[in-house]
Amino acid sequence: MADQFDSPVDVEADEQGLPGLAQMAVAVGIAVFTLAMINAHALAAWADGLEPGARTARISAVAHGLADQTEARGLDKPRAALKQQWDRVKAARWPNQASRKDQR
Amino acid sequence: MLFPTLDFGLFFLPVLLLVWTVGLASNEWRKIILLLASWVFYGFWDWRFVALLIASAAINWGCARAIQTRLDDDRSAQPWLGVGVAANLAILGTFKYFGFFLEQLAPILARAGWGRDLPVLEIILPVGISFFTFQGMSYLIDIARRQTAPASFLDLTLLMSFFPHLVAGPIVRASHLVPQFQSVPKLTRGMVATALILICWGLFKKAVIASELATGLVDKTFFDPAAHSGPDLALGAYGYAVQIYCDFSAYSDMAVGLAALLGYRFPRNFDQPYRAASLQEFWRRWHISLSSWLRDYLYISLGGNRGGVWFICRNLMITMLLGGFWHGAKWTFLIWGALHGGVLAIERLWREWRPEGLPALPRPIAILIIFHIVVAGWIFFRADTLEGALAYFTQLWAFRPGLALASPLLCGLIALGLAIHFTPPTLLPAMARRVAAWPAPALGLAAGLAVLLTDAMRFEGVAAFIYYQF
Repeated sequence: MADQFDSPVDVEADEQGLPGLAQMAVAVGIAVFTLAMINAHALAAWADGLEPGARTARISAVAHGLADQTEARGLDKPRAALKQQWDRVKAARWPNQASRKDQR
Repeated sequence: MLFPTLDFGLFFLPVLLLVWTVGLASNEWRKIILLLASWVFYGFWDWRFVALLIASAAINWGCARAIQTRLDDDRSAQPWLGVGVAANLAILGTFKYFGFFLEQLAPILARAGWGRDLPVLEIILPVGISFFTFQGMSYLIDIARRQTAPASFLDLTLLMSFFPHLVAGPIVRASHLVPQFQSVPKLTRGMVATALILICWGLFKKAVIASELATGLVDKTFFDPAAHSGPDLALGAYGYAVQIYCDFSAYSDMAVGLAALLGYRFPRNFDQPYRAASLQEFWRRWHISLSSWLRDYLYISLGGNRGGVWFICRNLMITMLLGGFWHGAKWTFLIWGALHGGVLAIERLWREWRPEGLPALPRPIAILIIFHIVVAGWIFFRADTLEGALAYFTQLWAFRPGLALASPLLCGLIALGLAIHFTPPTLLPAMARRVAAWPAPALGLAAGLAVLLTDAMRFEGVAAFIYYQF
Protein backbone atom coordinates (compact mmCIF):
# COMPACT_ATOMS: atom_id res chain seq x y z
CA MET A 1 0.00 0.00 0.00
CA ALA A 2 1.07 3.57 -0.65
CA ASP A 3 2.62 5.83 1.98
CA GLN A 4 0.30 8.74 2.85
CA PHE A 5 2.68 11.29 1.26
CA ASP A 6 3.62 9.27 -1.83
CA SER A 7 2.77 11.15 -4.96
CA PRO A 8 1.64 9.30 -8.08
CA VAL A 9 3.77 11.70 -10.14
CA ASP A 10 7.00 10.50 -8.53
CA VAL A 11 7.90 8.38 -11.52
CA GLU A 12 11.51 7.78 -12.38
CA ALA A 13 11.45 7.97 -16.14
CA ASP A 14 14.09 8.29 -18.82
CA GLU A 15 14.73 12.05 -18.96
CA GLN A 16 16.52 11.95 -22.32
CA GLY A 17 15.17 14.21 -25.06
CA LEU A 18 13.36 17.50 -24.51
CA PRO A 19 13.46 18.75 -20.90
CA GLY A 20 10.21 18.30 -18.93
CA LEU A 21 9.00 21.89 -19.38
CA ALA A 22 9.53 21.88 -23.14
CA GLN A 23 7.95 18.43 -23.35
CA MET A 24 4.88 19.75 -21.52
CA ALA A 25 4.66 22.94 -23.61
CA VAL A 26 4.79 21.06 -26.94
CA ALA A 27 2.46 18.27 -25.76
CA VAL A 28 -0.17 20.66 -24.38
CA GLY A 29 0.09 22.85 -27.50
CA ILE A 30 -0.39 19.88 -29.83
CA ALA A 31 -3.28 18.52 -27.71
CA VAL A 32 -5.07 21.91 -27.82
CA PHE A 33 -4.47 22.22 -31.59
CA THR A 34 -5.74 18.66 -32.17
CA LEU A 35 -8.91 19.35 -30.20
CA ALA A 36 -9.45 22.69 -31.95
CA MET A 37 -9.25 20.92 -35.31
CA ILE A 38 -11.30 17.78 -34.65
CA ASN A 39 -13.64 18.99 -31.94
CA ALA A 40 -14.33 22.60 -32.93
CA HIS A 41 -18.05 22.07 -32.41
CA ALA A 42 -17.45 21.83 -28.66
CA LEU A 43 -15.96 25.34 -28.77
CA ALA A 44 -18.92 26.62 -30.79
CA ALA A 45 -21.38 25.03 -28.34
CA TRP A 46 -19.49 26.62 -25.44
CA ALA A 47 -19.65 30.03 -27.16
CA ASP A 48 -23.41 29.62 -27.64
CA GLY A 49 -23.77 29.20 -23.89
CA LEU A 50 -22.14 32.54 -23.07
CA GLU A 51 -24.22 35.51 -22.00
CA PRO A 52 -25.20 37.53 -25.07
CA GLY A 53 -23.19 40.69 -25.74
CA ALA A 54 -20.95 42.38 -28.28
CA ARG A 55 -17.81 40.54 -27.16
CA THR A 56 -19.67 37.22 -26.98
CA ALA A 57 -20.91 37.74 -30.53
CA ARG A 58 -17.31 38.10 -31.75
CA ILE A 59 -16.20 34.98 -29.82
CA SER A 60 -19.18 33.08 -31.16
CA ALA A 61 -18.45 34.17 -34.74
CA VAL A 62 -14.83 32.99 -34.49
CA ALA A 63 -15.84 29.68 -32.86
CA HIS A 64 -18.56 28.98 -35.42
CA GLY A 65 -16.23 30.01 -38.26
CA LEU A 66 -13.67 27.46 -37.06
CA ALA A 67 -16.36 24.80 -36.65
CA ASP A 68 -17.64 25.42 -40.20
CA GLN A 69 -14.14 25.26 -41.68
CA THR A 70 -13.22 22.03 -39.91
CA GLU A 71 -16.59 20.54 -40.89
CA ALA A 72 -16.01 21.48 -44.53
CA ARG A 73 -12.72 19.55 -44.41
CA GLY A 74 -14.40 16.55 -42.79
CA LEU A 75 -12.40 16.91 -39.57
CA ASP A 76 -15.50 16.53 -37.40
CA LYS A 77 -16.22 13.06 -38.79
CA PRO A 78 -14.11 10.99 -36.34
CA ARG A 79 -15.98 12.45 -33.37
CA ALA A 80 -19.36 12.01 -35.06
CA ALA A 81 -18.52 8.38 -35.87
CA LEU A 82 -17.39 7.71 -32.29
CA LYS A 83 -20.54 9.31 -30.91
CA GLN A 84 -22.71 7.23 -33.22
CA GLN A 85 -21.02 4.01 -32.10
CA TRP A 86 -21.33 5.02 -28.45
CA ASP A 87 -25.02 5.82 -28.83
CA ARG A 88 -25.52 2.37 -30.34
CA VAL A 89 -23.80 0.78 -27.31
CA LYS A 90 -25.97 2.89 -25.01
CA ALA A 91 -29.16 1.83 -26.74
CA ALA A 92 -28.36 -1.89 -26.48
CA ARG A 93 -30.67 -3.81 -24.12
CA TRP A 94 -30.77 -7.30 -22.68
CA PRO A 95 -33.19 -9.74 -24.36
CA ASN A 96 -36.77 -9.00 -23.17
CA GLN A 97 -35.69 -5.66 -21.69
CA ALA A 98 -37.67 -2.58 -22.70
CA SER A 99 -35.80 0.23 -24.46
CA ARG A 100 -34.97 3.40 -22.54
CA LYS A 101 -37.68 5.31 -24.43
CA ASP A 102 -40.32 2.73 -23.49
CA GLN A 103 -39.37 3.03 -19.82
CA ARG A 104 -40.30 6.71 -19.87
CA MET B 1 -16.04 25.99 -12.54
CA LEU B 2 -15.73 22.23 -12.91
CA PHE B 3 -12.53 20.50 -14.06
CA PRO B 4 -14.10 18.54 -16.96
CA THR B 5 -15.45 21.65 -18.73
CA LEU B 6 -14.22 23.93 -21.46
CA ASP B 7 -14.59 26.86 -19.01
CA PHE B 8 -11.92 25.30 -16.85
CA GLY B 9 -9.70 24.46 -19.82
CA LEU B 10 -9.84 28.09 -20.98
CA PHE B 11 -9.03 29.23 -17.43
CA PHE B 12 -6.18 26.76 -16.91
CA LEU B 13 -4.25 27.32 -20.16
CA PRO B 14 -3.43 31.02 -19.55
CA VAL B 15 -2.57 30.24 -15.91
CA LEU B 16 -0.19 27.50 -17.06
CA LEU B 17 1.39 29.89 -19.59
CA LEU B 18 1.83 32.69 -17.03
CA VAL B 19 3.19 30.39 -14.34
CA TRP B 20 5.86 28.98 -16.65
CA THR B 21 6.83 32.33 -18.23
CA VAL B 22 6.49 35.18 -15.70
CA GLY B 23 6.72 32.67 -12.85
CA LEU B 24 10.01 31.24 -14.07
CA ALA B 25 11.85 34.51 -13.43
CA SER B 26 10.46 35.11 -9.95
CA ASN B 27 9.10 32.53 -7.55
CA GLU B 28 7.21 35.24 -5.61
CA TRP B 29 5.38 36.33 -8.77
CA ARG B 30 4.69 32.69 -9.59
CA LYS B 31 2.95 32.29 -6.22
CA ILE B 32 1.05 35.56 -6.61
CA ILE B 33 -0.19 34.45 -10.04
CA LEU B 34 -1.29 31.10 -8.58
CA LEU B 35 -3.01 32.82 -5.67
CA LEU B 36 -4.91 35.26 -7.89
CA ALA B 37 -5.86 32.42 -10.24
CA SER B 38 -7.10 30.40 -7.27
CA TRP B 39 -9.30 33.28 -6.11
CA VAL B 40 -10.71 33.73 -9.62
CA PHE B 41 -11.42 29.97 -9.69
CA TYR B 42 -13.16 30.11 -6.30
CA GLY B 43 -14.93 33.36 -7.18
CA PHE B 44 -16.72 31.56 -10.01
CA TRP B 45 -18.97 30.01 -7.33
CA ASP B 46 -19.43 33.09 -5.19
CA TRP B 47 -17.10 36.08 -4.88
CA ARG B 48 -18.13 36.65 -1.26
CA PHE B 49 -16.52 33.41 -0.19
CA VAL B 50 -13.11 34.53 -1.45
CA ALA B 51 -13.15 36.92 1.51
CA LEU B 52 -13.94 34.00 3.82
CA LEU B 53 -11.00 32.09 2.38
CA ILE B 54 -8.65 35.04 2.93
CA ALA B 55 -10.00 35.64 6.44
CA SER B 56 -9.55 31.97 7.30
CA ALA B 57 -5.93 32.05 6.08
CA ALA B 58 -5.29 35.28 8.05
CA ILE B 59 -6.66 33.75 11.27
CA ASN B 60 -4.55 30.61 10.87
CA TRP B 61 -1.45 32.63 10.01
CA GLY B 62 -1.91 34.88 13.05
CA CYS B 63 -2.54 31.96 15.44
CA ALA B 64 0.45 30.06 14.03
CA ARG B 65 2.69 33.10 14.68
CA ALA B 66 1.37 33.33 18.23
CA ILE B 67 1.97 29.60 18.82
CA GLN B 68 5.44 29.73 17.26
CA THR B 69 6.64 32.59 19.46
CA ARG B 70 5.44 30.73 22.58
CA LEU B 71 6.67 27.24 21.71
CA ASP B 72 9.28 27.28 24.50
CA ASP B 73 6.48 27.49 27.04
CA ASP B 74 3.84 24.91 26.19
CA ARG B 75 1.28 26.40 28.58
CA SER B 76 1.20 29.78 26.88
CA ALA B 77 1.17 28.25 23.36
CA GLN B 78 -1.81 25.94 24.03
CA PRO B 79 -4.46 28.69 24.36
CA TRP B 80 -3.51 30.01 20.90
CA LEU B 81 -3.83 26.55 19.46
CA GLY B 82 -7.26 26.37 21.11
CA VAL B 83 -8.25 29.76 19.68
CA GLY B 84 -7.12 28.76 16.18
CA VAL B 85 -8.85 25.38 16.19
CA ALA B 86 -12.00 26.93 17.69
CA ALA B 87 -12.01 29.64 14.98
CA ASN B 88 -11.79 27.00 12.24
CA LEU B 89 -14.53 24.95 13.88
CA ALA B 90 -16.66 28.09 14.28
CA ILE B 91 -16.40 28.81 10.54
CA LEU B 92 -17.27 25.21 9.72
CA GLY B 93 -20.03 25.10 12.32
CA THR B 94 -21.67 28.31 11.18
CA PHE B 95 -21.79 27.48 7.51
CA LYS B 96 -22.24 23.73 7.65
CA TYR B 97 -23.95 22.69 10.88
CA PHE B 98 -25.94 25.70 12.15
CA GLY B 99 -29.08 24.78 10.21
CA PHE B 100 -28.86 21.13 11.30
CA PHE B 101 -28.61 21.98 14.99
CA LEU B 102 -31.43 24.46 14.72
CA GLU B 103 -33.53 21.79 13.03
CA GLN B 104 -32.87 19.34 15.88
CA LEU B 105 -33.42 22.02 18.50
CA ALA B 106 -36.73 23.28 17.10
CA PRO B 107 -38.98 20.36 18.17
CA ILE B 108 -37.40 20.25 21.65
CA LEU B 109 -37.93 23.98 22.17
CA ALA B 110 -41.41 23.77 20.68
CA ARG B 111 -42.34 21.15 23.25
CA ALA B 112 -41.15 23.52 25.98
CA GLY B 113 -43.16 26.34 24.40
CA TRP B 114 -40.14 28.37 23.22
CA GLY B 115 -39.98 27.31 19.61
CA ARG B 116 -41.88 30.07 17.88
CA ASP B 117 -39.13 32.66 17.60
CA LEU B 118 -36.31 30.47 16.31
CA PRO B 119 -34.43 32.30 13.54
CA VAL B 120 -34.78 30.81 10.08
CA LEU B 121 -31.45 31.25 8.33
CA GLU B 122 -30.72 29.99 4.86
CA ILE B 123 -26.95 29.73 5.00
CA ILE B 124 -25.22 28.93 1.72
CA LEU B 125 -22.48 26.34 2.12
CA PRO B 126 -19.20 27.62 0.67
CA VAL B 127 -17.72 25.00 -1.66
CA GLY B 128 -14.75 23.15 -0.16
CA ILE B 129 -15.14 24.67 3.33
CA SER B 130 -14.55 21.30 5.02
CA PHE B 131 -11.29 20.92 3.15
CA PHE B 132 -9.73 24.31 3.79
CA THR B 133 -10.76 24.45 7.46
CA PHE B 134 -9.25 20.99 8.06
CA GLN B 135 -6.12 22.17 6.31
CA GLY B 136 -5.96 25.21 8.59
CA MET B 137 -6.41 23.10 11.73
CA SER B 138 -3.74 20.56 10.75
CA TYR B 139 -1.33 23.45 10.08
CA LEU B 140 -1.82 24.87 13.58
CA ILE B 141 -1.52 21.46 15.25
CA ASP B 142 1.64 20.67 13.25
CA ILE B 143 3.15 24.00 14.35
CA ALA B 144 2.31 23.23 18.00
CA ARG B 145 3.74 19.70 17.63
CA ARG B 146 6.88 21.16 15.97
CA GLN B 147 6.19 19.03 12.91
CA THR B 148 6.26 21.89 10.44
CA ALA B 149 7.88 25.30 10.15
CA PRO B 150 5.65 28.39 10.10
CA ALA B 151 4.79 29.59 6.60
CA SER B 152 4.76 33.15 5.30
CA PHE B 153 1.33 34.74 4.83
CA LEU B 154 1.63 34.33 1.05
CA ASP B 155 2.57 30.64 1.34
CA LEU B 156 -0.18 29.83 3.82
CA THR B 157 -2.84 31.68 1.82
CA LEU B 158 -1.69 29.88 -1.32
CA LEU B 159 -1.65 26.53 0.52
CA MET B 160 -5.28 27.00 1.56
CA SER B 161 -6.45 28.55 -1.72
CA PHE B 162 -4.48 26.53 -4.29
CA PHE B 163 -7.14 25.77 -6.90
CA PRO B 164 -6.30 22.16 -7.84
CA HIS B 165 -7.18 20.93 -4.33
CA LEU B 166 -9.33 23.81 -3.07
CA VAL B 167 -12.83 22.41 -3.43
CA ALA B 168 -12.50 18.66 -2.98
CA GLY B 169 -9.02 17.81 -1.75
CA PRO B 170 -6.75 15.97 -1.39
CA ILE B 171 -6.18 17.63 2.00
CA VAL B 172 -2.57 18.60 1.34
CA ARG B 173 -0.67 19.42 4.52
CA ALA B 174 1.61 22.41 5.02
CA SER B 175 4.57 20.13 5.75
CA HIS B 176 4.13 18.60 2.32
CA LEU B 177 3.28 21.56 0.09
CA VAL B 178 4.82 24.68 1.68
CA PRO B 179 8.41 23.44 1.16
CA GLN B 180 7.51 22.99 -2.51
CA PHE B 181 6.47 26.66 -2.63
CA GLN B 182 9.93 27.78 -1.52
CA SER B 183 11.52 27.59 -4.98
CA VAL B 184 10.54 27.41 -8.64
CA PRO B 185 9.73 23.73 -9.16
CA LYS B 186 11.33 21.56 -11.80
CA LEU B 187 9.18 19.65 -14.22
CA THR B 188 10.38 16.20 -15.27
CA ARG B 189 9.24 14.14 -18.26
CA GLY B 190 7.94 11.54 -15.80
CA MET B 191 5.76 14.17 -14.10
CA VAL B 192 4.41 15.43 -17.43
CA ALA B 193 3.56 11.92 -18.66
CA THR B 194 1.89 10.92 -15.37
CA ALA B 195 -0.01 14.23 -15.19
CA LEU B 196 -1.46 13.86 -18.68
CA ILE B 197 -2.42 10.22 -18.08
CA LEU B 198 -4.12 11.14 -14.77
CA ILE B 199 -6.02 14.06 -16.32
CA CYS B 200 -7.28 11.98 -19.28
CA TRP B 201 -8.14 8.99 -17.07
CA GLY B 202 -9.85 11.25 -14.54
CA LEU B 203 -11.90 12.87 -17.30
CA PHE B 204 -13.01 9.44 -18.52
CA LYS B 205 -13.92 8.19 -15.04
CA LYS B 206 -15.97 11.29 -14.24
CA ALA B 207 -17.55 12.18 -17.58
CA VAL B 208 -18.25 8.65 -18.80
CA ILE B 209 -18.37 6.09 -15.98
CA ALA B 210 -19.64 8.18 -13.04
CA SER B 211 -22.03 10.39 -15.06
CA GLU B 212 -23.50 7.51 -17.07
CA LEU B 213 -24.11 5.40 -13.95
CA ALA B 214 -25.59 8.35 -12.05
CA THR B 215 -28.08 9.38 -14.69
CA GLY B 216 -28.90 5.95 -16.12
CA LEU B 217 -29.21 3.94 -12.92
CA VAL B 218 -28.28 5.32 -9.49
CA ASP B 219 -30.34 8.52 -9.40
CA LYS B 220 -33.43 6.62 -10.54
CA THR B 221 -33.15 3.74 -8.05
CA PHE B 222 -32.48 6.05 -5.10
CA PHE B 223 -35.25 8.48 -6.10
CA ASP B 224 -37.98 5.87 -5.74
CA PRO B 225 -36.78 2.43 -4.59
CA ALA B 226 -40.34 1.07 -4.49
CA ALA B 227 -40.66 1.53 -8.25
CA HIS B 228 -37.75 -0.76 -9.09
CA SER B 229 -36.97 -4.46 -9.12
CA GLY B 230 -34.52 -6.25 -6.81
CA PRO B 231 -31.80 -6.73 -9.46
CA ASP B 232 -32.05 -3.05 -10.48
CA LEU B 233 -31.76 -1.98 -6.82
CA ALA B 234 -28.80 -4.30 -6.22
CA LEU B 235 -27.10 -3.00 -9.35
CA GLY B 236 -28.03 0.54 -8.29
CA ALA B 237 -26.17 0.04 -5.00
CA TYR B 238 -23.15 -1.50 -6.76
CA GLY B 239 -23.44 1.27 -9.34
CA TYR B 240 -23.22 3.92 -6.63
CA ALA B 241 -20.13 2.24 -5.17
CA VAL B 242 -18.51 2.54 -8.60
CA GLN B 243 -19.94 6.03 -9.23
CA ILE B 244 -18.64 7.56 -6.01
CA TYR B 245 -15.24 5.95 -6.51
CA CYS B 246 -14.98 7.08 -10.14
CA ASP B 247 -16.32 10.55 -9.30
CA PHE B 248 -14.10 11.28 -6.31
CA SER B 249 -10.96 9.50 -7.49
CA ALA B 250 -11.38 11.27 -10.85
CA TYR B 251 -11.33 14.63 -9.07
CA SER B 252 -8.23 13.58 -7.12
CA ASP B 253 -6.52 12.25 -10.26
CA MET B 254 -7.19 15.50 -12.11
CA ALA B 255 -6.10 17.57 -9.09
CA VAL B 256 -2.84 15.62 -8.87
CA GLY B 257 -2.33 15.92 -12.63
CA LEU B 258 -3.09 19.66 -12.82
CA ALA B 259 -0.83 20.41 -9.85
CA ALA B 260 1.93 18.35 -11.48
CA LEU B 261 1.68 20.39 -14.70
CA LEU B 262 2.18 23.47 -12.50
CA GLY B 263 5.20 21.73 -10.96
CA TYR B 264 3.80 20.54 -7.60
CA ARG B 265 3.45 17.06 -6.16
CA PHE B 266 0.21 16.15 -4.41
CA PRO B 267 -0.10 12.94 -2.39
CA ARG B 268 -2.06 9.95 -3.62
CA ASN B 269 -5.67 10.00 -2.40
CA PHE B 270 -6.94 6.60 -3.58
CA ASP B 271 -5.25 3.23 -3.82
CA GLN B 272 -7.71 0.67 -5.26
CA PRO B 273 -10.00 0.78 -2.18
CA TYR B 274 -12.36 -2.06 -3.13
CA ARG B 275 -9.55 -4.59 -3.02
CA ALA B 276 -9.33 -4.13 0.77
CA ALA B 277 -9.70 -7.31 2.84
CA SER B 278 -10.56 -5.43 6.05
CA LEU B 279 -12.25 -2.13 6.80
CA GLN B 280 -9.03 -0.88 8.34
CA GLU B 281 -7.31 -1.59 5.01
CA PHE B 282 -10.19 0.09 3.17
CA TRP B 283 -9.50 3.30 5.08
CA ARG B 284 -5.82 3.11 4.14
CA ARG B 285 -6.91 3.06 0.50
CA TRP B 286 -9.97 5.38 0.41
CA HIS B 287 -9.68 9.18 0.66
CA ILE B 288 -6.23 8.67 2.16
CA SER B 289 -5.70 12.36 2.93
CA LEU B 290 -8.89 12.48 5.08
CA SER B 291 -8.38 9.13 6.80
CA SER B 292 -4.76 10.00 7.67
CA TRP B 293 -5.96 13.43 8.85
CA LEU B 294 -8.56 11.83 11.13
CA ARG B 295 -5.96 9.37 12.41
CA ASP B 296 -3.21 11.97 13.06
CA TYR B 297 -5.29 14.82 14.47
CA LEU B 298 -8.37 13.17 15.98
CA TYR B 299 -7.78 9.48 16.73
CA ILE B 300 -4.29 10.05 18.18
CA SER B 301 -5.51 13.12 20.10
CA LEU B 302 -8.24 10.94 21.65
CA GLY B 303 -5.57 8.53 22.91
CA GLY B 304 -5.17 6.33 19.83
CA ASN B 305 -3.98 2.81 20.60
CA ARG B 306 -2.54 3.68 23.99
CA GLY B 307 -5.27 2.25 26.22
CA GLY B 308 -7.06 -1.09 26.50
CA VAL B 309 -9.06 -2.64 23.71
CA TRP B 310 -12.39 -1.03 24.75
CA PHE B 311 -10.70 2.37 24.91
CA ILE B 312 -9.41 1.82 21.35
CA CYS B 313 -12.89 0.81 20.21
CA ARG B 314 -14.32 3.97 21.77
CA ASN B 315 -11.73 6.07 19.90
CA LEU B 316 -12.49 4.31 16.62
CA MET B 317 -16.21 4.91 17.09
CA ILE B 318 -15.80 8.62 17.94
CA THR B 319 -13.40 9.13 15.03
CA MET B 320 -15.69 7.52 12.48
CA LEU B 321 -18.82 9.25 13.85
CA LEU B 322 -17.09 12.60 13.49
CA GLY B 323 -15.76 11.49 10.09
CA GLY B 324 -19.36 10.85 9.06
CA PHE B 325 -20.46 14.21 10.45
CA TRP B 326 -17.63 15.91 8.53
CA HIS B 327 -19.40 14.87 5.33
CA GLY B 328 -22.52 16.75 6.28
CA ALA B 329 -25.11 17.54 8.89
CA LYS B 330 -27.41 14.61 8.19
CA TRP B 331 -28.41 11.51 10.15
CA THR B 332 -27.56 9.34 7.15
CA PHE B 333 -23.90 10.43 7.34
CA LEU B 334 -23.82 9.76 11.07
CA ILE B 335 -25.19 6.25 10.55
CA TRP B 336 -22.65 5.70 7.79
CA GLY B 337 -19.89 6.76 10.20
CA ALA B 338 -21.35 4.59 12.98
CA LEU B 339 -21.43 1.57 10.66
CA HIS B 340 -17.78 2.05 9.74
CA GLY B 341 -16.78 2.74 13.35
CA GLY B 342 -18.72 -0.32 14.55
CA VAL B 343 -17.13 -2.66 12.00
CA LEU B 344 -13.66 -1.24 12.71
CA ALA B 345 -14.26 -1.90 16.42
CA ILE B 346 -15.45 -5.45 15.70
CA GLU B 347 -12.33 -6.06 13.60
CA ARG B 348 -10.20 -4.82 16.49
CA LEU B 349 -12.00 -7.05 19.01
CA TRP B 350 -11.68 -10.01 16.64
CA ARG B 351 -7.92 -9.44 16.33
CA GLU B 352 -7.69 -9.34 20.12
CA TRP B 353 -9.84 -12.35 20.95
CA ARG B 354 -9.69 -14.51 17.86
CA PRO B 355 -9.45 -18.18 18.97
CA GLU B 356 -6.02 -19.60 18.32
CA GLY B 357 -5.70 -22.03 15.43
CA LEU B 358 -8.78 -20.65 13.64
CA PRO B 359 -7.82 -20.29 9.96
CA ALA B 360 -8.07 -16.79 8.46
CA LEU B 361 -10.70 -16.19 5.78
CA PRO B 362 -9.33 -16.60 2.24
CA ARG B 363 -8.49 -13.11 0.94
CA PRO B 364 -11.04 -13.13 -1.95
CA ILE B 365 -13.86 -13.95 0.48
CA ALA B 366 -12.70 -11.26 2.92
CA ILE B 367 -12.61 -8.74 0.04
CA LEU B 368 -16.15 -9.74 -0.96
CA ILE B 369 -17.47 -9.33 2.60
CA ILE B 370 -15.78 -5.95 3.14
CA PHE B 371 -17.01 -4.72 -0.24
CA HIS B 372 -20.61 -5.53 0.70
CA ILE B 373 -20.27 -3.81 4.08
CA VAL B 374 -18.95 -0.75 2.26
CA VAL B 375 -21.83 -0.91 -0.25
CA ALA B 376 -24.35 -1.12 2.62
CA GLY B 377 -22.74 2.00 4.05
CA TRP B 378 -22.97 3.76 0.68
CA ILE B 379 -26.76 3.24 0.67
CA PHE B 380 -27.00 5.41 3.81
CA PHE B 381 -24.46 7.82 2.36
CA ARG B 382 -26.36 8.27 -0.92
CA ALA B 383 -29.94 8.32 0.37
CA ASP B 384 -31.42 11.79 0.86
CA THR B 385 -33.10 10.78 4.11
CA LEU B 386 -32.96 8.01 6.68
CA GLU B 387 -36.42 6.87 5.55
CA GLY B 388 -35.12 6.73 1.97
CA ALA B 389 -32.21 4.50 3.00
CA LEU B 390 -34.48 2.17 4.96
CA ALA B 391 -36.92 2.01 2.04
CA TYR B 392 -33.98 1.06 -0.23
CA PHE B 393 -33.02 -1.84 2.10
CA THR B 394 -36.66 -2.96 2.43
CA GLN B 395 -37.22 -3.06 -1.32
CA LEU B 396 -33.87 -4.75 -1.84
CA TRP B 397 -34.85 -7.40 0.69
CA ALA B 398 -38.20 -7.94 -1.07
CA PHE B 399 -36.19 -8.53 -4.28
CA ARG B 400 -38.92 -8.30 -6.88
CA PRO B 401 -37.76 -9.95 -10.11
CA GLY B 402 -37.04 -8.12 -13.35
CA LEU B 403 -34.35 -5.97 -14.88
CA ALA B 404 -35.58 -2.71 -16.38
CA LEU B 405 -32.90 -0.09 -15.79
CA ALA B 406 -29.55 -1.84 -15.89
CA SER B 407 -28.61 -2.05 -19.56
CA PRO B 408 -25.60 -4.04 -20.85
CA LEU B 409 -23.61 -0.78 -20.97
CA LEU B 410 -24.39 0.10 -17.34
CA CYS B 411 -23.53 -3.43 -16.18
CA GLY B 412 -20.32 -3.19 -18.21
CA LEU B 413 -19.42 0.14 -16.58
CA ILE B 414 -19.99 -1.34 -13.10
CA ALA B 415 -17.76 -4.29 -14.05
CA LEU B 416 -15.11 -1.91 -15.43
CA GLY B 417 -15.23 0.27 -12.31
CA LEU B 418 -14.64 -2.80 -10.14
CA ALA B 419 -12.05 -4.34 -12.48
CA ILE B 420 -9.91 -1.17 -12.12
CA HIS B 421 -9.29 -2.30 -8.54
CA PHE B 422 -7.67 -5.54 -9.58
CA THR B 423 -5.16 -4.19 -12.08
CA PRO B 424 -1.51 -4.31 -10.93
CA PRO B 425 -0.73 -1.33 -8.65
CA THR B 426 2.36 -0.68 -10.79
CA LEU B 427 0.29 -0.14 -13.94
CA LEU B 428 0.27 3.68 -13.78
CA PRO B 429 4.02 4.17 -13.17
CA ALA B 430 4.81 1.56 -15.82
CA MET B 431 2.58 3.35 -18.35
CA ALA B 432 4.00 6.73 -17.36
CA ARG B 433 7.59 5.53 -17.85
CA ARG B 434 6.68 4.27 -21.31
CA VAL B 435 4.77 7.44 -22.26
CA ALA B 436 7.54 9.69 -20.90
CA ALA B 437 9.84 8.31 -23.60
CA TRP B 438 7.48 9.36 -26.41
CA PRO B 439 8.30 12.44 -28.48
CA ALA B 440 6.31 15.47 -27.31
CA PRO B 441 4.11 15.71 -30.48
CA ALA B 442 3.06 12.06 -30.10
CA LEU B 443 2.23 12.66 -26.44
CA GLY B 444 0.17 15.75 -27.31
CA LEU B 445 -1.66 13.97 -30.12
CA ALA B 446 -2.47 11.01 -27.85
CA ALA B 447 -3.75 13.34 -25.11
CA GLY B 448 -5.91 15.26 -27.61
CA LEU B 449 -7.39 12.01 -29.00
CA ALA B 450 -8.05 10.68 -25.48
CA VAL B 451 -9.99 13.85 -24.62
CA LEU B 452 -11.89 13.61 -27.92
CA LEU B 453 -12.83 10.00 -27.17
CA THR B 454 -14.15 10.98 -23.73
CA ASP B 455 -16.01 13.95 -25.18
CA ALA B 456 -17.72 11.72 -27.75
CA MET B 457 -18.82 9.31 -25.01
CA ARG B 458 -19.70 11.78 -22.30
CA PHE B 459 -23.18 12.43 -21.04
CA GLU B 460 -24.61 15.81 -22.06
CA GLY B 461 -23.57 18.38 -19.46
CA VAL B 462 -21.43 17.66 -16.41
CA ALA B 463 -22.83 17.18 -12.93
CA ALA B 464 -20.85 18.65 -10.03
CA PHE B 465 -18.49 16.29 -8.25
CA ILE B 466 -20.12 14.48 -5.31
CA TYR B 467 -17.51 15.79 -2.88
CA TYR B 468 -18.15 19.45 -3.82
CA GLN B 469 -21.06 19.38 -1.36
CA PHE B 470 -18.74 18.54 1.53
